[in-house]
Amino acid sequence: MSEILTDQEAGGVDGMQGQYLTFSICDVLYGVELLRVIDIIMIQSITHVPHLPNYIKGIINLRGSVVPVIDARIKLNQEEAEYDDKNCIIILDINGPHVGMIVDRVAEVVSPEPDDLSIPPKVEASGRNHYLTSVANIDNKIILNLDCEKFFLDDIA
Amino acid sequence: MLEVFIYESTTLLDQLDEILLDSEKEKQMNEENVNEIFRIMHTLKGSSAMMGLNAFSNLAHAVEDVFAIVREDRSKMDNVSETIFNLVFQASDFLKVEIEGIQGDDYAPKDPADLIQQLHSLADVMNGKAPAPAQAAKPAEEAPAVGKKGFCSIRVHFEDGCQMENVRAFMLLTQLKEVCDELDSIPEHPENDANLCEDLIRDGLIVLFKPASALDDVISVIEKAVNVKSYEVLSTTEEPEEAPAAEPEKTSEPPAVSAAKKTSPPSASEPSASHPTVSSSASSSAPVETNAHKNAVKQSLISVNQSKLDQLMDLVGELVTTESMVASNPDLEGLKLDNFTKSTRELRKLTDDLQNVVMSMRMVPLTGTFQKMNRIVRDMSKKLGRPVEFETIGGDTEVDKTIVDSITDPLMHMVRNSMDHAIEPPNERVANGKSETGKVTLSAQNVGGEIVIKVIDDGRGLDAERIMAKARSNGMLTKPESEYTSSEIFGMIMLPGFSTNEKVTEYSGRGVGMDVVHQNLAKVGGVISIESAKNVGTTFTIKIPLTLAIVEGMEISVGKSIFILPITSIRQSFKVYDSSQILHDTNGTEMIMLRGECYPILRLHSVFDIPTEVTELNEGILIQVENNRSCACLFADQLLGEQQVVVKGFPPYLSRYDIKSSGISGCTILGDGSISLILDTNGLLNF
Repeated sequence: MSEILTDQEAGGVDGMQGQYLTFSICDVLYGVELLRVIDIIMIQSITHVPHLPNYIKGIINLRGSVVPVIDARIKLNQEEAEYDDKNCIIILDINGPHVGMIVDRVAEVVSPEPDDLSIPPKVEASGRNHYLTSVANIDNKIILNLDCEKFFLDDIA
Repeated sequence: MLEVFIYESTTLLDQLDEILLDSEKEKQMNEENVNEIFRIMHTLKGSSAMMGLNAFSNLAHAVEDVFAIVREDRSKMDNVSETIFNLVFQASDFLKVEIEGIQGDDYAPKDPADLIQQLHSLADVMNGKAPAPAQAAKPAEEAPAVGKKGFCSIRVHFEDGCQMENVRAFMLLTQLKEVCDELDSIPEHPENDANLCEDLIRDGLIVLFKPASALDDVISVIEKAVNVKSYEVLSTTEEPEEAPAAEPEKTSEPPAVSAAKKTSPPSASEPSASHPTVSSSASSSAPVETNAHKNAVKQSLISVNQSKLDQLMDLVGELVTTESMVASNPDLEGLKLDNFTKSTRELRKLTDDLQNVVMSMRMVPLTGTFQKMNRIVRDMSKKLGRPVEFETIGGDTEVDKTIVDSITDPLMHMVRNSMDHAIEPPNERVANGKSETGKVTLSAQNVGGEIVIKVIDDGRGLDAERIMAKARSNGMLTKPESEYTSSEIFGMIMLPGFSTNEKVTEYSGRGVGMDVVHQNLAKVGGVISIESAKNVGTTFTIKIPLTLAIVEGMEISVGKSIFILPITSIRQSFKVYDSSQILHDTNGTEMIMLRGECYPILRLHSVFDIPTEVTELNEGILIQVENNRSCACLFADQLLGEQQVVVKGFPPYLSRYDIKSSGISGCTILGDGSISLILDTNGLLNF
């Protein structure tokens, strides 16, 4: 019994472990672990909730449950832009609570080889690397992999 | 709770009948069946005792006893198996009739004493304590089914020359059917034979019945009936029954009779000697009715997994969204689609109905919980010798199932506390100038997204000095005594290990009560506050925020945002025409003069920082709201209409931010799938 379980677990995890969903924000490619991704939905009307940090755009109705949505651009200290039909909301599982992240465009799923990954450079003045777990270099495309827990649970914008 | 009991018992009794019928067919019982019957009776005994139906539980207990013997040694039932079957069938029928009776408004329990007596003597026989009964019991004496005692009879005479007496008799019987559990008449079925008219004129119509409630109800029906000249009560239930001891134990019956009993419950038979004719005319329409009712009850409740309900709710939410997406699809713009519009309107109506049903499914009234408390008060009042009047208000307040489950225990503790600590013995009450009877009130109310439950007693009140002394001796004080406010002192009784009652009683005094109350409530986010005055009484107020509850709300718009304002907090809404009503204080706060009183104006668009074009007070609308302390006017763009909404809490991700204190208590998903925020008057007025 225990063998079967581990097999299944390994199989399920094997499929997605090490895979990243990539998306672009201001023409920079970012990645999140595919295991955390619950859903990708089109941008929809967001109910603004007052008295929240500006990067939390509000809440949306995801199949009957209320999910908060943050704008990755603002969170990453980028300029805010009007949403168009390229924008997507990636629903992520942050160890329990679900959070939506508005990105410019969803790109693809990549599975970098261990050799492709490198440790992010030390924190620079902007503090942006704070949120990164690793940097992947696949076919000369640089992907910055986000540390979801830090990215969503830290209040530093 | 009663419904659950009825549902449960009916299911069990049906199961019992099935087993009995099968076993009887095979002329024996296997071990499994015996155990099953034992289990059914045990369950019935327990649940009926809980409902306070002693007749039920005693009877179930007697049957249980018999089967306890059978369970130990099945050979013991060999000689008496037929008696067992008959008695258990009778017991089952008695219970069914009673269950049906409970559902009526005026339920008068009947006594199964002689059935129990028979079961006991059967048990004795099986244990070899009593001699085996004579085999030749007279059939005539077997017939009286014990559960059927209590028939009354009334002779009714119709007016002279009113014609068609047989039809009139039939009409009277039809009317009586509604107030009688079982009904029979002499002659039987008068409507079938016009020749009976003469008999009816001469002898009158004899009505035999078991009143569903009071005998007087039946009599009043007869009095009101048309063309009834006179009536006389021939026998009532009070009439002495045959002494059970004198009745020989029935063992074997002629096969014909026992066969009849299998199919139809033994019914209408008159135990009293006054109308010997009746016993032959027994078993009429009554059993059929019993069955019809039974089925109706069976359908009324079904238990469903809660997660399925949640799932259903989410699905309906999605359905509604999709429906509006289809109906107002941009592709359809500019097209003339009469039939399509008609169909979508139909669809909208259906989805709306569906949504309403789903919303109401998870909600249960507090009545059941309140009834349990009623019982506790009753029992304690008897045991402690303190007469207490128990009043419940707002039992029909509907709350989510999870909340009902989590408040039952705390409420029980609090009611017990009130009974044990607060309400004084009668002589003490009289000495203090109070009425001898104490009063405990339990009330529930849905106030602006919160359930407010109050437990009020008019007892001796909390003794602040004693609490203080106790806290001092237990080393619980954290600051100088003089700095404690009375509510802080009262709050100390909720600390662990605090009880001012010196004696540990059956009910309370172990110092866990209020502590448990506090903890259980904290789990569902509830708070408790205490008000008390010496010799006047104590009021415990519990407030529980609703994670899921239906709130009657007013939709108001501010800019592009839509808010829901609980209707309970709205006093009135009005337009401002006369700008001289508006005043400004030195800080620039806007105020409005209404009927000689001044109220501050809260502009929602500036409170929530929402861009809107409506900034002039006379363009929008003012809504006067109040909480329990203060009153103010909210300024919004316009009122959109009333709507029932399901309150949802904010997602846990946002719990780090203090949204609630800014005047928003939760959110809700509107019919079109969009989310709207629910305003909290308390938060807004303190903002």
